[in-house]
Amino acid sequence: MSDRESRGDGRPWEEWIRSAEDPARVADKPEALDDLLVLDLSHGHYGALLTATYLAELGAEVIKVEPPGGDPARSWGPADAAINGEGLAFLAESRNRYHVTLDLGKREGRRLLRGLAARADVLVEAFAPGHLDGLGIGYRQLRALNPRLVYVACSAWGHWGPHARNQPAEYDLTDQALSGLLHVTGDPDAAPLKVGSWIGAYAQAAWASVGALSALHWRERSGRGQMVDVTGAEALMRYLEYSVLLYHASGHVRGRTGLYELAVFPYTFVRVKDGWAFIAGYTDPNFGALCRVMGRPELARDPRFSTTLQRTTLENEVALRAEIERWSVNYSAGEILAQVLADPGPGIVVFGPMNPPARTLGEVHWWERGCFRRVSDPVYGELLLQMPAWRMTRTPPRLKWACRPAGYHTAHVLHKYFGCGPAAITRLRSHGVI
Amino acid sequence: MAIPRDYFEWAAREFDPARIHEKPEALKGIRVLDLSVIYFGPATADFLGELGAEVIKVEVPGQGDVTRILGNASFFWKNISVAFFCANHSKYHVGIDMHATAGQELIRQLAARSDIVIENFRAGTLEEKFGIGYRQLRRVNPRLIYVANTGFGQWGPFSKGRASYDGLAQGVSGLTSITGDGDAPTKIGNYLGDWFGASMSALGALAALRWRDRSGEGQFVEMAQCEGLLRAMDWTWLYAGLTGRDRVKVGNGDHTFAPSGVYRCTDGYVALVAGTDREFQSLCRLIGQPGLAEDPRFKTHDARRRRAHARELDAPIAAWCRTRTRAQVEAAARRARLSAAPVMTARDHAENAHFRARRSVWEHEDPVYGPMLEYGPAPKLSATPARIKWAGKPVGFHNELVLKSILGLDDGRIRELYAAGAIGRWAEGRRGAAPPEGWKGEGGLE
Repeated sequence: MSDRESRGDGRPWEEWIRSAEDPARVADKPEALDDLLVLDLSHGHYGALLTATYLAELGAEVIKVEPPGGDPARSWGPADAAINGEGLAFLAESRNRYHVTLDLGKREGRRLLRGLAARADVLVEAFAPGHLDGLGIGYRQLRALNPRLVYVACSAWGHWGPHARNQPAEYDLTDQALSGLLHVTGDPDAAPLKVGSWIGAYAQAAWASVGALSALHWRERSGRGQMVDVTGAEALMRYLEYSVLLYHASGHVRGRTGLYELAVFPYTFVRVKDGWAFIAGYTDPNFGALCRVMGRPELARDPRFSTTLQRTTLENEVALRAEIERWSVNYSAGEILAQVLADPGPGIVVFGPMNPPARTLGEVHWWERGCFRRVSDPVYGELLLQMPAWRMTRTPPRLKWACRPAGYHTAHVLHKYFGCGPAAITRLRSHGVI
Repeated sequence: MAIPRDYFEWAAREFDPARIHEKPEALKGIRVLDLSVIYFGPATADFLGELGAEVIKVEVPGQGDVTRILGNASFFWKNISVAFFCANHSKYHVGIDMHATAGQELIRQLAARSDIVIENFRAGTLEEKFGIGYRQLRRVNPRLIYVANTGFGQWGPFSKGRASYDGLAQGVSGLTSITGDGDAPTKIGNYLGDWFGASMSALGALAALRWRDRSGEGQFVEMAQCEGLLRAMDWTWLYAGLTGRDRVKVGNGDHTFAPSGVYRCTDGYVALVAGTDREFQSLCRLIGQPGLAEDPRFKTHDARRRRAHARELDAPIAAWCRTRTRAQVEAAARRARLSAAPVMTARDHAENAHFRARRSVWEHEDPVYGPMLEYGPAPKLSATPARIKWAGKPVGFHNELVLKSILGLDDGRIRELYAAGAIGRWAEGRRGAAPPEGWKGEGGLE
C-alpha cells in the first residue's frame, strides 16, 4: 500500500473507495499486465478478439495480426450503421491494439509471425483446429521456438475430443444451443430464445483470459508455457449451475420456465405502470419485506407462500406473481423503488426497472462510475464506448484508443521488432506480405 | 493448407484427461478466503479453486449458505439442494460467526495467511459492521488482493441501500431489452449475471495477482454484476450513441449473420447459422433448394440479412429440419461444413461423449455424497489442467483441519471457540447444512 492510499483511513468507506478508484486518476497508476506481449490472431472470431481486448484493457501490448485484406470481423455489426466501412461490433471491441497485416499464406509472412511469437507471452487464435499447425506456426512448432509461450486457441468444439475433427465455424447461437443455455431460456410452450448479445463470445473470452493469466502465474514458477483450449459452448455450460446434477440426482430435465423459476421465487419480471420491472424476495426475511412493501403482510403467512419450498411450486408461483402484479401495475418503477428503499427491514426487496438501453444510458450512476465514455477518435470520430468492467485501486484497466484500420501500425511494429526501415517495408509491401 | 493427419492425436495426448490429476496446478500455493454467499462470490472463489487455489469457505454456523436450501422438492437430494454444489467444489468449509468478536479475529488471522479474499456483501458492510473490511485486512496483510462483488458497485448513487441479483442486472443493464422478441421480457434462464460476473471477477483477481507477482503489492478489486452485463452487450452502446436509437430485438435472428434461427426437429430443436456466402450456398444445396442461392433476395450477405428477407429463409429451413432428428441435421450440416447444433438439455449433456471426454461434464465420487455428475472447468489447460477434487461439504466440515493446519490452534482453544459460539458446524437435522442421512463420518478430518 502506498503512503497516499494509507492516508485518510479515517474517512468513511464510500468516500475512501471512491477516491481510491477515481476514474479521473486512472492514468496516474500503473497497469497490471504492461510487461506482456500478446499476439491477437483472431480471424472472424469475436471470442478470440475479446480475449485480446480484456488483456489489452489490463495493460498488455496487443498486436493484432490480420491478413492484408483485414479481419472479416471488421464488417460485423448491424446493417443500418457503420463507420468508415467498419462494422460496429468490431469497432466496439477492438481497442488498445497495434494493427498489423501479415499474409500468413506466404513464407515471409510466417517468418515474421515466428519472429513475433518468439518474443510473445501470449498468442490468441481461433482458426479451425490444426490450421496453423498445418502452416507450421501452431503451438507444436512455436513452443520449440518459445517454450514460455502461452497459446490460447478458441473454437466451437475444442482441439481434442471425439467431435473435434471436421468441426464447423463457431457462432454464438450454436454455442448457446450446445451449452444448454438456449434450452432453458424462453417460454415452455414456445421455441427457446437466445441471449440478445454475443454472450458466448464474452464468456469464452473471460475463460480464455482466466486460463491465460493462470498459465502465466504458473510460468513464473515453472518457466514453461502451455496451451489453453476454450470453446464458447463450454464457457456457457459452466454457467448452467445445477442442471446436470439435478438430472443425475432426480432424473428431472430442467426446461424453460419463462418468467417462473425452479429454484427461487419471487424472482421475476412484472408489469409496472410505465413498463416492466424485475422484483425478487425469495428468502423468508426478504419475502417478508416484499409483502410489507406491497402492504400485504398476510401473504407471508399464506400457507401457499410461507416457505421457500412452497413458493417454488409452479402453481404457487403463478398465483404469487399475479398477486405481485396486481399491486405493481398501480405504480411506476420509480415509485416502487422509492417504497423499497424506504422500507426499514428486516429483509430487503431487490427491485429495478427493465431498461431499454437508452434509459440505461440516461442514468447518472453509470456515468459517474465511468462505465461509458464518449471519445473523439481521430480516425472514427465521435464514439460512445463501454469501458472496462473492473475497478482496481492500484492497477486500474483503461481505454487508450478505440480501433485502427487494418495495417495501421504495420510499419511501426516491424520497425520496433525487426528493425525494418522504410525501404524494407516497401519491399514487403510490394511482395504482398504486408 | 491441409490439417496434418496427426494433429488431433497430438492434441489429445497433450490434454489427455486420464492424466489430469497427475499434472501440476496453475494456482497451487494461492489461498483464497471466501466470505461470500449464493453464486456471484462463491463462484468467483470456485473458479480460482478449479485452477488450483486452496479455497476456505466461511459460512454462518448452523444453516450456512442459502443455496443449500434453494428450490422446490425436486432439488433435494441427500438432505441438501443440488443448487449448492455448482459454486462450491474442492473447498474447505468452516463455520465462523462474524458477529462474534472471536469470529472476527479468526477472519483477520485467516486473511493474514491468505492471498485473496472474496466477499459479496453490500458495499462497506464488512468494514462498518464487522471490522474486517479491506482497510482493516490490508493492515494485517499488505499483499492481500481483496475482491468485492456487488450489484451496482462500492460507490455511486445506486450503491446505497440497493441489493442486486442476476435478474435485476439483466433488467437494469438493458440486456433483457435486447433479448427475445415482442414487448414482454424474456428472462434469461440461468443466473447469467452471477456467473459471467464471477468469471470476470476471477479474471480481475488474476490480473491483480500478476501485478503482485511483479511488484509485491496487493490491491482492492471490484466487480459489479450490472456492469459486467452492460459490458457484454457488444455494439448496443456504440449504436445508441451513433444513431440515438435502441437496437431492435430479433429473437433468434442475428443482425450480422443471416440466416440464423432455431428450428424444430422430430426430437427437439436445432440452432443453425449460415453466416458466409459459402455457408449459405452449402445450406441451399443441403436443403435441396440450390436456386435460393441465386435469388436476388438472398444472393448477397447484405440482401440476406434484411429482416424481411431473413424471415423468408426461415420457412424452407424449418421445413427441412422438421422431418429430421437433431442428430441427422447436425451430421448433415457437418458434412456440408455448416454450423448446426442441437439445443442440448441436461440429459443430452449427461449422455454426450464429447463433453464427458473433455470433462466439461465431470463424473466423480465424493466420500460424503457418493457419485456426482457436475459441469467441469471451462478452460482446458494442457500443462496445469483445472479440476474438481471433491464436492461441497456440510457447514463447518473442515473446522478442525483449517484451524489447526493454518492457524495452529490446539484442541483446547478450538473447544473454547465452539463453546463461545464463534465457530460451529451444522445445526443437527438442519436441511442443507447437515450431512446426509446415514453419514458415518466418511471424509471427516480432525
